[in-house]
Amino acid sequence: MTVLRTDLVRGLALCADEDGTRSTVETALVEPVDPGDRLLVHAGTALTRLEPAR
Amino acid sequence: MKYVDEFRDAELGRAVAGEILSLVEPGRHYKLMEVCGGHTHSIYKYGIDDLLPANVELVHGPGCPVCVIPMGRVDDGIAVAHRDGVIFTCFGDMMRVPGSNGSLLDAKAAGADIRMVYSPLDALRIAKQNPDREVVFFAIGFETTAPSTALTLKRARAERLQNFSVMCSHVTIVPPLRALLESPDLRLDGFIGPGHVSTVVGARPFEFIPADYGRPVVIAGFEPLDILQAIAMILRQLAEDRCEVENQYRRVVPYEGNLRALEVMAEVFELRPHFEWRGLGFISHSGLKLSEAYGDLDAEARFSVPGVRVADPKACQCGEVLKGVIKPWECKVFGTACTPERPIGTCMVSSEGACAAYYNFGRFARERQVV
Repeated sequence: MTVLRTDLVRGLALCADEDGTRSTVETALVEPVDPGDRLLVHAGTALTRLEPAR
Repeated sequence: MKYVDEFRDAELGRAVAGEILSLVEPGRHYKLMEVCGGHTHSIYKYGIDDLLPANVELVHGPGCPVCVIPMGRVDDGIAVAHRDGVIFTCFGDMMRVPGSNGSLLDAKAAGADIRMVYSPLDALRIAKQNPDREVVFFAIGFETTAPSTALTLKRARAERLQNFSVMCSHVTIVPPLRALLESPDLRLDGFIGPGHVSTVVGARPFEFIPADYGRPVVIAGFEPLDILQAIAMILRQLAEDRCEVENQYRRVVPYEGNLRALEVMAEVFELRPHFEWRGLGFISHSGLKLSEAYGDLDAEARFSVPGVRVADPKACQCGEVLKGVIKPWECKVFGTACTPERPIGTCMVSSEGACAAYYNFGRFARERQVV
């Protein structure tokens, strides 16, 4: 999923998947994250960061 | 799309299939286990089985989170869901798993307030929206999902939520692998290691497999080329008489895993002395429960669940499928009494279950030419 917006206070990020569907993602395990970062998300939690999109 | 298109390239796939063919020793039978249900799904979806020589057999392992939940555990969940004032939350797949007297979906139809969620965070949000109700999250899954539950519990604690608790049925991947390796009725030549579990735990926990049992492990991604390449890497190890843990999924899996995730899991969970697995029986130190520090958020303590052990239906052979002893289509009720629409066993419920994957994608193409 791609990070659209971050909420640093709550440790959450608004992310969109490849279809554009948006959801709130827990980012505590991969912080810091920035808009544009691509994350592997499982059950609402980002587990790892992927390389930037080509 | 990056990470997808290049891993579905048909020409490259044929090249790796050719490499696999060149690596097999004629007359030798290779039995490789894909541990993860996600791999099982991809194998049938993309017809990977059909690209392999007939003497390379893929055995489906116990890595489907829903499939390994025993019936008694479902009954426990239903008992909690029927309590007055409870909102019971769980993942969608879990709702269809049969207990001894119906599924959570049946219990919902009978009036229990059971809601499907995509993440434990959704359950926490429901708890905040319903302060006068008790919200229980039925936590299942391996180390991929457990960090999400752990972080949610930490949030619940930080926000002092009193009406949220977790019925923890998380399991760990290493103990069942050890149990399978000790099993006398299953001889395996190598393992396709779980991709996303390894994102959390890393590659190190699998080092006992080559060290103690002399079997190679290759951690793999979920696209068709990932799986084909992992099979080629295992066969190459066998051909070169090597035996180690290799990481095909380096674009996602760091060798050491996610240390923050391991830390938060260690804080929130502790190992149960025993946990019952569907088809595999009780396995020591294979299940997680909430640690003492988070004991007040443990739904099992809050609601005192029945904890009854229930035997699987006699016709159901999920246990043998999960151990790789029989193929899905060899089960007596496969595709007749047991279908994805009306499953008898767990392996037919989840899309990661070997029976559902085979039913949906592979059942018309069983015969293969012997190479």
